[in-house]
Amino acid sequence: MQYQRLANWKTVNSLAGLCDLPHPPKQLFYQGTWNPQLFTHCVAIVGSRRMTDYGRQVIEKIVPRLVFEKKTIVSGFMYGVDQYAHEVCIQNGGKTVAVLGWGINRVLEDADKKLADAIVASGGLLLSEWETQKPTLWTFPVRNRIVAALSADVIVVEAALKCGSLITATIAQKLKRKLWAVPGPITSRLSSATNALIAQGRAAMWLGDGPPVLQKTDDPLLSLLETQALTASELARKLEKPVEDIGAQLSLLSLTGQLTERGGKYYVGQN
Amino acid sequence: MLVKINSIANVGLETIPVDVEVDVADKGFPGFTIVGLASKAVEEARERVKTAMVNSGFDFPPKKIMVNLAPADLPKDGAAYDLPIAIGVLIASGQLERLTADALFYGELSLDGTLRPTRGILLLALYANTLQGASIFVPKPSAPEATMVANVTVYPVGTLTDLVRHLNQTIPIKPLAHDTIRTDEEFDSGESDLKDIAGQEQAKRALVIAAAGGHNLLMWGPPGTGKTMLARALPGILPPLSPEEALEVTRIYSVSGLLAPGTSILTKRPFRSPHHGVSAAGLIGGGSSPQPGEVSLAHLGVLFLDEMPEFSRSVLEGIRQPMEDGAVEIVRVMGHVKYPASFTLIAAINPCPCGYLGHPRRACTCTQKMIAKYRHRLSGPIVDRIDLTVLVAPVEVEKLSVTTQVDNNTLTSRQAKLMVVKARAIQSQRFTGTHLYTNSQMKNREVKLFGKLTAEAENFLKLAAEKYDFSARSYMRLIKVARTIADLAGAETILPVHMAEALQYKQLA
Repeated sequence: MQYQRLANWKTVNSLAGLCDLPHPPKQLFYQGTWNPQLFTHCVAIVGSRRMTDYGRQVIEKIVPRLVFEKKTIVSGFMYGVDQYAHEVCIQNGGKTVAVLGWGINRVLEDADKKLADAIVASGGLLLSEWETQKPTLWTFPVRNRIVAALSADVIVVEAALKCGSLITATIAQKLKRKLWAVPGPITSRLSSATNALIAQGRAAMWLGDGPPVLQKTDDPLLSLLETQALTASELARKLEKPVEDIGAQLSLLSLTGQLTERGGKYYVGQN
Repeated sequence: MLVKINSIANVGLETIPVDVEVDVADKGFPGFTIVGLASKAVEEARERVKTAMVNSGFDFPPKKIMVNLAPADLPKDGAAYDLPIAIGVLIASGQLERLTADALFYGELSLDGTLRPTRGILLLALYANTLQGASIFVPKPSAPEATMVANVTVYPVGTLTDLVRHLNQTIPIKPLAHDTIRTDEEFDSGESDLKDIAGQEQAKRALVIAAAGGHNLLMWGPPGTGKTMLARALPGILPPLSPEEALEVTRIYSVSGLLAPGTSILTKRPFRSPHHGVSAAGLIGGGSSPQPGEVSLAHLGVLFLDEMPEFSRSVLEGIRQPMEDGAVEIVRVMGHVKYPASFTLIAAINPCPCGYLGHPRRACTCTQKMIAKYRHRLSGPIVDRIDLTVLVAPVEVEKLSVTTQVDNNTLTSRQAKLMVVKARAIQSQRFTGTHLYTNSQMKNREVKLFGKLTAEAENFLKLAAEKYDFSARSYMRLIKVARTIADLAGAETILPVHMAEALQYKQLA
């Protein structure tokens, strides 16, 4: 596939996070349609290559919500947690950035190629700091520093005690990124490192429901509901808007936890 | 002398030819016997025929009269054999010429010789249509039913004397002119127009969605908030009946004897609202010779079940099969009958037994246990087949005020119908080549095939499924509703905004 070179990435504002690195990449290569907006709200989802069924469920739970909050999912394009995070993100209509552990010109095959094509088709990017580098033991940890630097939050989904994603976690801490870990069963080897991160106080516990997204408070609908609870029909009448639009807006606000519905009436806040 | 007169028997919506054989024997003890599995009503024809003939000025021969209704093993019911028997006796006793043409006789006699309205005339005409150049002699009040059928000569018979004069070719009866089915009449909102209902914007919107996608609808709210009025407005916003559909509906009403005398065809969609005391046979259909029930009388129209939890559970379970198959099969000793029953179900429930839970001005007197018990009375499998649930809340007093002007932006039934017709056109285009007509009929496979969700819309739905803990069935149901909302908006794919609106009509927790 065609790739492009981005020599002066330092001029791109949204990539400023990379400057936090002690050894920032000299140049960047990418496949896909360049869109600097992609990097404004990035969340990294990292974890083991040997994903368990639990890890799969965790991704299916947390990624749709992040996509809904218009976050870009950043990960390392490795099979297991990384690739599944990319995949679920695309299925939910989100944008994702895959930071490769090898040079951009490497020809991908089978499932890898399919996923890469899907990432590009959905408006996401494949990113690498090398043009013609072969994947070797040292390239993956080096790639991890870019994943961490691009993101404001780093979520470790599943990791065993000796796992590459712990390198990402360590870098994220050094770069003062918000580090999260998903708790898991203490009997599972692949949750031992994530549980340890939480136990040692290095990572915050990610429980799936992020804090409610705060939207603009000058929404006339919200300010009406602050004084009294109303039904959809009453809101439509008071705001003089079609009830179908009001209904859609109410569903959306309820889903993000800004409103609660009880007995057909809407209240501000959660429960 | 032996005479054979053509008539018919209606078994459900099926018509079977019946030969009425009349023999007036010169030898033997005088008497009048009817054989051929005749019911009590047919047995009594003896007295009606005898008296009607005498009162019309004919002789009733004091001879041995034998009437056989063939085929002999088919049970016959109703008073419609009065006319063929009378004609048979008149011919067999030499008071009337033998008939030449292919003629069918059907009708009930009054003691003075006039013909009374008789059920099933449309079915007779449809049967006669399959014969070449047949003519039918039917009671004048019911004759208009037959005028919609093309290749049949319909003679409206006033009295027995008139008929005899016609057959003797002294004073002919003028056959009725054929009519064509016109369903593109002027818009008529029916019993209630949406614009006359105060407030309830969301419930009206739900009605439009229900009409557009053929979805079943559950309305809940305190008494007196307009649930019944809303339900009555639905037939008026459904698309007009096509001529075939009109014939189908009229057929059912014809066999039930529910067509008012003089009616030719029903052009409005039926609205049925059975009381909650209805029996299983009343709702589903039944009786020793099975008659259509409310579900069939609501065919291609609306079945409204007010106070649904008050219906007997076992009776209500009976509508599951028709909701699934669009038809109902009734099996009785006398036979096995299938009636069409494809309807839109509108159910109304109160929020609690006293009805005032959540009312802004009145206190609810129910305990938690009573409310739980009340809600539990809703049949799960039936609620599962209801796609839309909407609150019909109490309206503020100022909205009700008679003197204030009606809002200009109130939706009228005329506007709603236009929206529905447009959305239905999109659906019929989508479902060409399939057995489906509306979005509500989609099964999981078709939802996947025709749903056309954008990834963002599905993302939205997944989050909602997580938050409200939907079952797989609810998930599919919401996609179907969102599909209809997108059709109403004329959108090719389901966008998040359509999904968000569909979520407003999710089931009660």
